[in-house]
Order: sequence, then C-alpha cells, then structure tokens
Amino acid sequence: MVDRAPVRTSDLREIPAFHSLPDAQVSSVAALMVRRHFAPGQIIFMEGDKSGAMWFVFSGRVKIIKQSLNGRIQGLCLMDRGKCFGGCSLFDMDHNPATAQALTEVTLFILPEQAVGQMGENDPNLVKVLLHIYSQRLEHLARVSEVLGSWTVADRINDCLLTYINRSVQPPVVDLTHEKLASLSGTVREVVTRHLSLLEKEGVVHNTSGHIIILNPDALLPPCAAESR
Amino acid sequence: MVITAELLTKIRLFGLLSPRTQRSIAEKAVLVQHPAHVDLYQQGDPPTALYILQSGQVKLYRQSKDKCQILALPTAGDCLGAESLPTGATSPYTATTITPVSAVMLPPDVLQSLMDEHSDFQEIFLRLLTERLKQFVTLVHDLAFRDVTSRLAMVLVARAESEGHLAAEGILFDRLLSQQEFADMVGTAREVVYRTFKHFEEDGLVQMTRESIIICDLNTLRRIAFQETR
Repeated sequence: MVDRAPVRTSDLREIPAFHSLPDAQVSSVAALMVRRHFAPGQIIFMEGDKSGAMWFVFSGRVKIIKQSLNGRIQGLCLMDRGKCFGGCSLFDMDHNPATAQALTEVTLFILPEQAVGQMGENDPNLVKVLLHIYSQRLEHLARVSEVLGSWTVADRINDCLLTYINRSVQPPVVDLTHEKLASLSGTVREVVTRHLSLLEKEGVVHNTSGHIIILNPDALLPPCAAESR
Repeated sequence: MVITAELLTKIRLFGLLSPRTQRSIAEKAVLVQHPAHVDLYQQGDPPTALYILQSGQVKLYRQSKDKCQILALPTAGDCLGAESLPTGATSPYTATTITPVSAVMLPPDVLQSLMDEHSDFQEIFLRLLTERLKQFVTLVHDLAFRDVTSRLAMVLVARAESEGHLAAEGILFDRLLSQQEFADMVGTAREVVYRTFKHFEEDGLVQMTRESIIICDLNTLRRIAFQETR
C-alpha cells in the first residue's frame, strides 16, 4: 500500500548507506522516494521480475529467497531496518535474481530506477552509496556460499540461530519458525526440528511455540564459525 | 612493459571510459607478475588493490580451518580485488594464483583517488561489483538447488565454454585443478568428486588425463548441469 506521507530527511538519515551524504543530497534523495507498506507474507517482488527500484527497509523485516524449479525455497538473508535490497536491474542484471517477501509488517522507502539513473550520472555521492550497498551484499553472498558449500547442516542451523538471535531480551530468543529456519539454512523443516530437539536435550535451547529461547549461545558456535564471525 | 591508454581500451568495460580517465589510469597503474600458487591477497586483509588479469588464472576462495569453498576462477580479462573498498571492511575472500599471472594493478589509494576524480570510473567499478555479485547469486543457487553431479557438470561445461578448444575427441582444456580443488568448488569431499568423474568417464562424457580434460559429450553434460535436483 502506497503511503502519501513524504519520506523525511530525518527518516533517511537513519539508513547507514546515507550517513556520509551531505544534508542537501539526503533531502533531494528523500524527495524522490515513495513510502510503501506491506503486510506479513506479501510478495514485494518476484525472482525474474524487473524491479526497477532500490528498496530500503524503514521498519519491519523482509526475507530474500530463491526458489528451485522443484519448489524448494532457499532463504538468502533477512533484511531489517536500514538495509537495502533490489536495484539489480539498474546495472546489467535484467531480472531480479531473488524474491523479496515481507516477513512482518514492513515499511519500505522506494527509490525508483529512473531517479537512480538520473542521480547516478550527476551525483558521484549517490554512486558511492550504491558501491557501499553492493560491497556489503557481495561480502554477505561470499559468506552464504561458504556456509552452503562447506559447512554441515548442523553448523548451518546453529549459524542461522546466532545470526538472527535477538539479544535485547533475556534470555535471548530467535523469532523464526522451523520452516523459515530450514529455508535460511538450506535444509528441510524435519531436519531443523530434529536438530533443535537434540539441542534442547543438551540444554542449549528451549523450543516454545513461535520462537526459540537460546540458553547457551556459545554452544552454538561451530568450530569453523568462530574465526569468520 | 608500460601501461598505455591504448592497452586499457582493449580491456572489457575499461574501453567505455573517457580518454581522460584512461590516461589517468595508465599513469597510475602498475603491471605485476606473479608465479603460480601465490596469494595476491587474503581473506581478512584490509581493502585490497584491483587486479585486471592479462594472463593466467586465479582462484577466489573462503577458508575456515580445514574447510574451503572456491567462489570463482577469474581468468584473462577478468577483474578481482578491491570489493570491500567502498565499505572499508576486510577482504571477504583470498585470491591465489593457479598459474603464473600477469595483471594490471591499481592500489587502493589510487583506486580511491580515481573514484573521487572520475565519475565514469566509479560507474565502471560499480559494474565490476555487480558482475561479481551476479556470479555469487548463481553460485548460491547452484549450491542450494543442484546436487554434486549437476554442480560438477556445471563447472566442466563453464570451463569448456570459456577455455576449451576443439580436439579430435571433443573439447579440450587444461585440467589446472586438483581433485581436492574441484571438490572445493562444488562443495563436497574429494572422494565424491573422484566417484562422479569415474561415472562421467564410464558414460563416455569426459576423458581425463593428469594434464587435461576432454569433454566428449557437451550436450549431455549440459543437460545434467542444468538439472535442479532439490
């Protein structure tokens, strides 16, 4: 749903990629943006679509997923406040390489492709913003490749628990269903459930409906994760 | 060898730069040569130089303890390095030469000044990052949705298409990688790669020697490569 309320400069200042931009430029970017809301589960764009915009998360959580021809879903990452996704079609990529779906109630700021194109030509600072975003994304994908290619399933589930842990409450929790955890760690729900039962027996986690309470985060660190985290 | 603006026009993407930017790069770039099995930079290093490969082959990989995942095999004409320069973060992977390599190198401080002074160079650098990003998205897709047989077939098809030349028995290219390195590329154990190669040979799809690989039936191998088995 499009929100007619303008994107304020102060809202945009909270997004890390814009931290280094001068005030005047943040204002001009904000003026070009549109604010949109999405309900939980709503598709923001599909893999294969031409998205034509960069999307910035102002509030809520978005999951980025890929789907195989056989229907299996692989989660690539969760995007929360301040993160940016999309924009791939602006530079060489004709189609979105992945799908974006709202995980919770989400408010996004959208920077249309046309505006990015115009500003990119005249505004080297905006290209710096894009370089920052793309560089972060590259680092993330390199890590996802390593995790999928060379870690065991148990390592991958443990790593996901640590990546999405909410430490602002005590004891810390992970607000992901077994299904979503399976998708993010490249396995199936049954394997996640079996692994979490094992961790519960060892006193590392406590499973409750809707979330997983983490009793001993250190026990989740896979031996090979310690140095790459 | 002196780096000239003319040499830069022959490098993919760099040919799109203005003559002024090309001259500026030519003044500041350095031609480097490295033997095989040398690290150009390591995972965890501060932002690195940008390398534009003129000849030879490099592997990009992430390693943690005894586990290794090869992410890409850049070859002549490809660029690598400096991916973390925009954020100031450490390098997300190691780059090691597989063969002797020569490359045009732009050190990080030079890169930064080129980006500050030439907006067209900034856009080319963004394109380079985008290309690597695209490559990693494909790798993630393959690791998630294709089994080892498909992934190994995919590696062989890609190399046949980029490096192969026609021979009597099929498409031939230098082997270059050990079985362990093939395993590190497709995310499995060496023994599994050995068995899969055996099956490919028995089915008449490939012929292997110590030095080279011949693809005898590219179409079948391509069909196997594009199967999504998960």
